[in-house]
Amino acid sequence: MKTTYPVLLLVAAMSMLQACNDDDTSTAPVLPVQAQTVTNLPADPTTPSSTTGQPPLSTGKYTLFNLRDNKTVVNTDSASNKWDIGFRGTSIIVNGGPIRSGQGGAYVYTGTFDELTTIPTSATFAQDQSPSSLAIPSVSGAGWYNYNSTTNLVTPIPGRVLVIRTGDNKYAKVEILSYYENAPAAPTSANRSRFYTFRYLYQPNGSMKLN
Amino acid sequence: MLSILLLLAIEQAPDLAADTSRTKQLDPVVVTATRTERHVGSLPMPVTLIGQQQIRQSGSLRLNDILREQTGLAIVNDHGQGLQVQGFGPDYTLILVDGEPLVGRTAGTLELSRLTVGNIRQIEVVKGPSSSLYGSEALAGVVNIITANPAEGVRGSLSSRYGANQTSDLTTDISLRSGKTGLYLFGNRYQSGGYDLSPETPGTTVSPFLNYTTSGRLTTSFGPRLKLGISGRFFTEQQDNSLATVDQRLVSGTGRVRDYSINPVLTQQLTDTWKLTYRYYHTGYHTTTKLAYQDTQAPYDDSYFRQNFDRVEIVTERTVRNRHYLTLGAGYIGEGVEATRYPGRQQFSTRYGLAQFEWQPSTRLTLIAGGRFDAHSQYASQFSPKLSARYELNQGLAIRASAGVGFKAPDFRQLYLNFDNAVAGYSVFGTQEVAAGIARLQQQGQIAEVLIDPGRFGAIRAESSVAVNLGAVLDLRKAHDIPVRISANLFRNDIRDLIETQVVARKTNGQNVFSYTNLSRVYTQGIELDGSYRIELGGSQLTISSGYQLLEAKDKAVVSSIRNGDVFRRNPETLLTERVNRSDYGGLLNRSRHMANVKLFYELTKSGVSASLRGIYRSRYGLADRNGNLILDEASEYVRGYTTWHLTAAKTIKKLTLQAGVDNLTGYTDPSSIPTLAGQLWYASLRWDWAIRKSKSN
Repeated sequence: MKTTYPVLLLVAAMSMLQACNDDDTSTAPVLPVQAQTVTNLPADPTTPSSTTGQPPLSTGKYTLFNLRDNKTVVNTDSASNKWDIGFRGTSIIVNGGPIRSGQGGAYVYTGTFDELTTIPTSATFAQDQSPSSLAIPSVSGAGWYNYNSTTNLVTPIPGRVLVIRTGDNKYAKVEILSYYENAPAAPTSANRSRFYTFRYLYQPNGSMKLN
Repeated sequence: MLSILLLLAIEQAPDLAADTSRTKQLDPVVVTATRTERHVGSLPMPVTLIGQQQIRQSGSLRLNDILREQTGLAIVNDHGQGLQVQGFGPDYTLILVDGEPLVGRTAGTLELSRLTVGNIRQIEVVKGPSSSLYGSEALAGVVNIITANPAEGVRGSLSSRYGANQTSDLTTDISLRSGKTGLYLFGNRYQSGGYDLSPETPGTTVSPFLNYTTSGRLTTSFGPRLKLGISGRFFTEQQDNSLATVDQRLVSGTGRVRDYSINPVLTQQLTDTWKLTYRYYHTGYHTTTKLAYQDTQAPYDDSYFRQNFDRVEIVTERTVRNRHYLTLGAGYIGEGVEATRYPGRQQFSTRYGLAQFEWQPSTRLTLIAGGRFDAHSQYASQFSPKLSARYELNQGLAIRASAGVGFKAPDFRQLYLNFDNAVAGYSVFGTQEVAAGIARLQQQGQIAEVLIDPGRFGAIRAESSVAVNLGAVLDLRKAHDIPVRISANLFRNDIRDLIETQVVARKTNGQNVFSYTNLSRVYTQGIELDGSYRIELGGSQLTISSGYQLLEAKDKAVVSSIRNGDVFRRNPETLLTERVNRSDYGGLLNRSRHMANVKLFYELTKSGVSASLRGIYRSRYGLADRNGNLILDEASEYVRGYTTWHLTAAKTIKKLTLQAGVDNLTGYTDPSSIPTLAGQLWYASLRWDWAIRKSKSN
């Protein structure tokens, strides 16, 4: 799994800045935050690896992810605010709702990732109500992907951005780029599925500005 | 004999009787456009006529072979080889044999290779909606296959052909006529070893198959005013399938198709101006498929499909002052289907009435107004009017225009399908089944959320279109004796209520429940150009013809979404999202913007030598979405444009004709996108025509 760490530097810079003038956060200059890409995040894969012939890894559990730290969180921490977003197959969960411990939520924005610079105050965030009624609908054509029953392929819908509110009331935007291992441009049924590649932008200061 | 002559004389439109035999030869008679016999050049709508000679000279075996070479027609492959007319998919063209519809479509496509061309006298293709005469399915047009009639005396033929891919064809026919009674019998055996364009993958591209066609017609007359014809047809095919599933497992087994029809027609000439035609038609289409995984022998597909179609019809034709013609008709259609994926036996019926008036206010102007009303047992009634006109500017130039409404009824699948995909977990219900299906799944606790009230789906409407055709024909043969004919046609079709799948509910397993509803509006428009020129040199003649079609076919909802900036695509390199521009949208899949053909037919009559060279071009067309937005907008989503060349040469010595040919001369293939295009195919055939008594010409 490839990980990039600019956000950590930013967070460090932010905390220093806040330490300098912590009396007035409203006038503090908002530093630009950077988008980053996560590749090959396994989301409970069921097919054995073609190279090693390893048996399926399927556990039925969500892969939980912390957006601020850009790293996975152990599943035993599922009842905490340590994770912001989770993946299992085509289902994506957020840390908010009756079946979660956090205050998070999500909605699906139609447009490009770069165009979404500020979350409108009128935006309504849905929450995970039940395992079958998630904030991000896990249904072909209604959420983030299309499923083609002829080719058996799951394709992220272009122009869909997942707007996330984390369990501790921070905001982020996520665009799923691929559902297949190594993000092939033209996946086939031979590619291993349930490997997410996505880019995201996390705003650590709690504002709804996403650029 | 007298009665037949009388009937022939009456069937000839009186105003045409003065025509010389030369014009008759140049301007043959068709029946499909108006349901009455008319010279093809006198019609106010675009009609293509393919004669027996052209079929034979082209070395065609099956219907798709000859139709693919015609201007504006494309053979598209989707659950079989179907016909695309004016940018409409195969579901929207009605295929008739002697005026009676063929049934047995798979996902909307009627497999054209089911039909041998051996017993065909001519093929008539009417473009533009013809629902005013033929009802459902005649949105894009009508293809009517006219089969052979008993000829005078005793005669027959036997022909055999062998070619690449172990393809063999054996055809024989016999015709007897004596006095009032005639009989025509036809038999065909067609076999192919299939082929495999991608040997590295399991399974074959086209599996070996064998089929038989038999047909016949008995004609007789009772007295001078009553004529009876009975036609029948039987087709059976067996294919030994071997194919690879998505996960590359080999599946094999047999598929069988059976198709039969019987069609008595009684014609009664009441007076010189009143004619009555009574028709009955029964046809059936049965398939069985038994496929199993080769490794485990577990069943993959074990299914059957049985469809039957019955029709009674009565039509009267009235001739007014030898110039105006009134046609009135009424009929009843009963249809039934029984299949693995349908609950029980499903039936529906249609009652219809039709009227058409052909009016000639002057010798230069012809006006035809007609309409048909279809009352269906399962969906809303349909009225399909059509108005067409032709005006002769001078002896060589005529303009024509027609406007009409066409429709296509929801099919059995859209009404009655009841299908749970056990592997993927989704369900599909026809509109009449969805309420009960959702209730059943709810009872089983499989439904997470109902998104649309299933009760709403029952009110499904037929798909319908409004079309306009505008054209001109320049024919210099008659007036100036210059062997040139040029025609142009502009067309526009606006189609509404296209039936598509719609998500009804979400299941607890995350999959959807689908049904069918009236969703899309699309349009197709374009230009069709045709020209032919004949050169006579000594005892030989060379006919050069060429055709071109420009086509645009687009989904109106997609066009407006793009205009609103709501359509995106994923860049294949960076995987990032971009906005789609209007100029990127390539329209509906499987439509070539440009199609063209050039055909050369050469004949040296005295020595019995003939040859042909035909080139068919299709520009690139969309195959599938690859960048996630479900529309055609990127170069990689297209199949490359291509040209195929076909060559034949033949020599006739007395009663024997030897023909040799090569289809797809350059051997062009595209295995992944066009599996039906088998590389270069050579063949040779021998045909023997025999006759016991000399025929008397009438």
